[in-house]
Amino acid sequence: MNESVKKARDIITGYNGRPLRIMEVCGTHTHEIFRIGLRKLLPESIDLISGPGCPVCVTAVGFIDEAVWLALEKGCTVCTFGDLIRVPGTEMNLADARAKGAEVRPVYSPLDAVEIAKENPDKQVVFLAVGFETTTPSACLAAEQAKALGLKNFSLLTANKTMPNAYNALVGSADAFLYPGHVNAITGNSACIKLCEEKGVSGVVAGFTPSELITAMAVTIKLLEKGEPFFRNCYTRVVTDEGNKSAMALMERVMEPCDSEWRGLGLIPMSGMKLRAEYAEYDARIKYSMPEIKGKPNPACRCGDVLQGKCKPSDCKVFGKVCTPLHPIGACMVSDEGACAAYYQYAE
Amino acid sequence: MKDTVTLAHGAGGKQTSELIERVFKAHFDSPEFTADDAAVLPEIGGKLAMTTDGFIVSPWKFNGGNIGKLSICGTVNDLSCMGAKPLYMTCGFVIEEGFPLDDLEQIAAAMEKTAAEVGVKIVAGDTKVTGKGQCDGVFINTTGVGRIMENAHTSGSLAKPGDAVIVTGDVGRHGCTILIARDDYGIESDVDSDCAPLWHTVESMFEVTNDIHVIRDATRGGVGTVLYEIASQSNVGITLDREAIPVDERVKGVCGMLGLEPLYLACEGRLVIFAPAEQADALVAKLREGKYSANAAVIGHVTAENIGKVVMETEIGTQTMLPQPKGELLPRIC
Repeated sequence: MNESVKKARDIITGYNGRPLRIMEVCGTHTHEIFRIGLRKLLPESIDLISGPGCPVCVTAVGFIDEAVWLALEKGCTVCTFGDLIRVPGTEMNLADARAKGAEVRPVYSPLDAVEIAKENPDKQVVFLAVGFETTTPSACLAAEQAKALGLKNFSLLTANKTMPNAYNALVGSADAFLYPGHVNAITGNSACIKLCEEKGVSGVVAGFTPSELITAMAVTIKLLEKGEPFFRNCYTRVVTDEGNKSAMALMERVMEPCDSEWRGLGLIPMSGMKLRAEYAEYDARIKYSMPEIKGKPNPACRCGDVLQGKCKPSDCKVFGKVCTPLHPIGACMVSDEGACAAYYQYAE
Repeated sequence: MKDTVTLAHGAGGKQTSELIERVFKAHFDSPEFTADDAAVLPEIGGKLAMTTDGFIVSPWKFNGGNIGKLSICGTVNDLSCMGAKPLYMTCGFVIEEGFPLDDLEQIAAAMEKTAAEVGVKIVAGDTKVTGKGQCDGVFINTTGVGRIMENAHTSGSLAKPGDAVIVTGDVGRHGCTILIARDDYGIESDVDSDCAPLWHTVESMFEVTNDIHVIRDATRGGVGTVLYEIASQSNVGITLDREAIPVDERVKGVCGMLGLEPLYLACEGRLVIFAPAEQADALVAKLREGKYSANAAVIGHVTAENIGKVVMETEIGTQTMLPQPKGELLPRIC
């Protein structure tokens, strides 16, 4: 353990002030915090809540139902990031749809889905576009590429989300946020600075190595002790105030903001991204005249409460009993970045 | 003779003989390797160890080795883990019609070289050819016999509280190499497999002490899976020091990008050793002199608590559970 880690450790373990609630927003942070056991250093007065930053976890049940509809009713080849295949829909997940004969293919990048469409002109390929500012640019790139190639058999089912409006919805749920370093690397820090200046929301941009995470936590505690609203960038080796301008411009060209439903948080105005009118032919909802599909989450599952920090995974009745990583009932048990999966794997 | 393997090569006639002459006899020549139905071996004194293993790795050739080298290492290492000096091996080939003969020769040459390095003789073989698409390239099965050293008594059930846990080198390189070779993720890296025959490595440890409780080679499922197996077989707990676990920088990079745990990536040339703590320094010092174990390190110790579990001391000085193994991440790793 090096000196700076020791120092951060002492600040955290030595805290004896008022009760604090800190929310890590990012799913990768959730996983890393469990992996390194950061929670175990926290005194009882500090509550660390896992926020809605795992893209798989916040994807609404209805989105899975839409994907299943495309796969089974329309016979589309559904390409998706692997984790989504096991996220439960109202009646079935995509793995069940595959067992019923649907073609569901895991891909590592939206561009792989474009390749599949190019190589299989007889198939209608749909990519399930989920994720935050970190993955949305690659979905936009896929749409641009499909357009450039003149592909008629490729479309996107979008559920892309943006962070700034989610922060607005989360105001008041924590004393400070650990902001997701990867998202800020794209968006820059302006939204977080504005939140601090206009609404007094405090937060620190955190990196992902053990020393970066423990340092960000110590800085957050120190600044909370002072009592003034604050914003700090503790991930300066990657994050700049301006962000990644070319990625932002790409998103701006291809997509526009829209209302979006978040599992647990409900509908958040203008917190999603959809394809612009110029790309309508690549929008699966328009292309297939999709009816409105409303999903119904399993009533026993408390993923919604977990995502808002209202309960711990272990407070959920099905956690670890019927809901396990092998047989997930809720989305938070599916992805490695989900709070429930992290609690389960690291046996907290 | 044509340049690819055909169904006629597997039909048992003239062309089969040609294949055996050109490829197998050329590389596996020994007095015991004859045209008779079975190899006749001289008397072998002492206790014997015997093992068999199938190899279906895809792609068949990767940075740092090929399926031929792997098929010798896998069986040699299994024997070595029991303290047995590998003596004789057999190999069975299942080859897909159309597989290039030059490639088959490359595989046989790698087997010859690897076997020679540890002094094991290939004494019998079999060749079958399948139609196109009925197998993928080439599959190999090897079986080996070795003589157990009189002073060796190792088993996965013999780990004891207080034992040191040693690995003979950095972890997860074979799995990472195959993952890169498949090119599914579009990641480029020059990482090479740790695939190696480890008899001499094992032999050198017994020059230091006979007091070695467990030797396991960490193949499918990686070091993490082996540790959970031994914790359960020996009814003990294991505590690891995260910062002491050797991981190649390139493997760290790939794992970081894909969110993988290096402890769960396959190795093909790494041993996990449990021995009394007082022997650990001498064992590690000896291992570090070896060709395949220069990065050997003590990575943890055995406890009487946390039975059946593997606990990690983290970079920030806390303890967490190493998540339970979920099974091999990639199919056809070996």
